[in-house]
Amino acid sequence: MAVIEVRGLGKSYGGTQAVRDVSFEVAEGEVFALLGPNGAGKTTATEILEGYRSRSAGEVSVLGHDPATGGRAFRSRIGIVLQSCGIVEELTVAETVAMYGSYYPRPRPTAQLIELVELEEKTSARIRTLSGGQRRRLDLALALVGDPDLIFLDEPTTGFDPAARRSAWRTIHNLCALGKTVFLTTHFMDEAQELANRVAVIAAGEIVATGTPADLGGRGSAPAAITFTLPMGTPVADLPAIADAEIAIAGNDVTFVTNAPVASAYRLTGWALDHGIELEHFAVTQPSLEDVYLRLTGDADQVTAR
Amino acid sequence: MNRDVRLLLSQVRYDQRAFWRNRTAAFFTFLLPVMFLVIFALLNGNRLVPFGGAQVPFLTLFVPGILAFGIVGTTFSNLAISIAGLRQTGVLKRVQGTPLPRWVYLGGLIGSAVLTTLEFSLLVLVLGRIAYGVQPRLATAPALVLMIVLGTAAMSALGLAISSIIPNGDAAPAVTNAIVLPLSFFSGVWFPTDEAPKALRLIAATFPLQPLAHGLQHAFLPSAAAPGLTLFDTGRLAVWVAVGVLAALRWFRWTQRG
Repeated sequence: MAVIEVRGLGKSYGGTQAVRDVSFEVAEGEVFALLGPNGAGKTTATEILEGYRSRSAGEVSVLGHDPATGGRAFRSRIGIVLQSCGIVEELTVAETVAMYGSYYPRPRPTAQLIELVELEEKTSARIRTLSGGQRRRLDLALALVGDPDLIFLDEPTTGFDPAARRSAWRTIHNLCALGKTVFLTTHFMDEAQELANRVAVIAAGEIVATGTPADLGGRGSAPAAITFTLPMGTPVADLPAIADAEIAIAGNDVTFVTNAPVASAYRLTGWALDHGIELEHFAVTQPSLEDVYLRLTGDADQVTAR
Repeated sequence: MNRDVRLLLSQVRYDQRAFWRNRTAAFFTFLLPVMFLVIFALLNGNRLVPFGGAQVPFLTLFVPGILAFGIVGTTFSNLAISIAGLRQTGVLKRVQGTPLPRWVYLGGLIGSAVLTTLEFSLLVLVLGRIAYGVQPRLATAPALVLMIVLGTAAMSALGLAISSIIPNGDAAPAVTNAIVLPLSFFSGVWFPTDEAPKALRLIAATFPLQPLAHGLQHAFLPSAAAPGLTLFDTGRLAVWVAVGVLAALRWFRWTQRG
């Protein structure tokens, strides 16, 4: 059964249409990522699912509830990590977790949660003494305190250093192991790639592609690029002819775009070995999720700049 | 006990704890008025001052005056400042995403402010009795209690309402001080206004601090007849309770504008 079902969702403010005819489903136990640039309608769509905003059109069902009217029963089953959200500064970590736990019918034990987000050393510390990263981990603990079936994570690692991101990702992987459904928004491609089973890309208020990170926007079947640098003194004209491959040359840097990367690479490396030529920076790459994302969200300038 | 009532009481406990741990808030809303009481009592002594056509010892008016001033601080200013901050930092938004009913959360904040008001009132009454020999008589105790109840209700409601027009948490103390301080001078908190220009007295009379201060001062008069109520003060304060509640219902917002 789908945990989230969205059909024809629309939201307009005054005359502007922030979200237009958005439809998708999220299955139980899935990590679903909504990708999109700032201002694409990500937050609006997410806040409608969370019950913070009303919608102008369409149907939304989250855990069988309409979030707009779901009330207490609905909120007891979801956990939300908002992008930046205050906590009363004067209470301690343990008091805060226990207080938020008291709002839910079946709260998880305070000590267990504090351990889960690795804040044991800060258990009796006031919130105002926590670092930014520690606050974000507490945010996660507060989202999990009611033992929710569905967790909303709005850009969960924005502002994290690389080590903290890895650690947050581990925690999110652990959630999936517990069978939780996760709805994630992010603009980090590596994050979507690492965490999500399925991705939807939103641009200018509309869903422009849906799929797994591996084959979003035809990425799985897209041609591969073989790139290398020819040594000085080796003319480009000496390169072997490769069928069905398009060649692009910039100085000594060569790019073959091909639908048969294995055969093409074999031909090229064979030629290089036969002639004793070193192909520096030799690499075979599929288009990255980021390339696809930038193409889908219409940011063509950045694609060519890369 | 009903689960929501239990939740409400536990919210009051958490909010009280947070209030007392926030030294700045505790100092400005609680300790500062007490300091004013001690300082002005030292400066002015207990000479006779004109009040309602009679000559009354200064401290008989100043102790209840500070009581009124303090109630405004523990309810109106305290709630307006803390809610503006909670709204700006997103605490209100976070709470909205939980199953806690909104009325329980707001009830906890108001309950904690009321508790602080009672603590403050008790301190001032005890201090007035012990240090300055000033106290209401048993005969006028009903007026004292009613004034504190109406004042707390009106000022709490007005605090909730005004928190919504405060742009952010940093501006909140400036906004509440700009309202409360001038009014306190017009309203006879620091010194009776019997000899003040009539226009000034008229302006003061249209705001809720003047009836609160005057009603409490009247209850402290040795000459006041039981139960010590003045109809004009009680009536105006009751109207302010209604105005405050309506304004809070109409204007209170959970989210930051813009």
